[in-house]
Amino acid sequence: MVNKLITDIGGDEADSVLIGDHEQLFWEKQMIATFNLLQNKNIVSTDEFRRTVEEMSAEYYKNSTFYGRRLDGMITLLIEKGFIEKAELDAKAKSILNAGTRDHV
Amino acid sequence: MSETQPYYEVGDRVRILDLGKPGHVRTPTYVRRKIGIIERYCGMFENPEERAYGRLGLPPVALYRIRLRQMDIWPDYDGQSDDVLEIEIYDHWLEHAGENL
Repeated sequence: MVNKLITDIGGDEADSVLIGDHEQLFWEKQMIATFNLLQNKNIVSTDEFRRTVEEMSAEYYKNSTFYGRRLDGMITLLIEKGFIEKAELDAKAKSILNAGTRDHV
Repeated sequence: MSETQPYYEVGDRVRILDLGKPGHVRTPTYVRRKIGIIERYCGMFENPEERAYGRLGLPPVALYRIRLRQMDIWPDYDGQSDDVLEIEIYDHWLEHAGENL
């Protein structure tokens, strides 16, 4: 039985490729910049990031987006490596949402 | 398996292996067990299968670009018979495949 990664889709039946522009949001630029910085400082690697994506459930992966996967992967790696704690991140996210300031997106 | 220098030469016929290895690998299933030729040696790289888990990936492994005929990959391929696909594959996923089909 072949051990197939969720990203290993070559040859699978698929719908037509969606073609369209995606306007890059401010948080996406910030997040990619943060990821690149972490990579340049050898804190995270592309290979590690790819592995976090491959560890997503098929359903989660199917509904994910390019920037969403990058953010999820970065968070997973930062928690794995002990740079941040999940509870701390959740609390901070909650406080931002509660403040209702959505102008950063 | 080579550690410091390329083992295969340009033009060598190679079979891409199906190592059945769990975890992060860079060899998609659709090229496994297929035969192609070495198109070029790309250099030595830290092993991504190790790097994916926070390890250093040393010693480095040789990476090659493999040229496969599309008709050898897809049983129902209906394009030109000389269409090819090139894909980069690490040394430990390859074996010599002899001279002829």
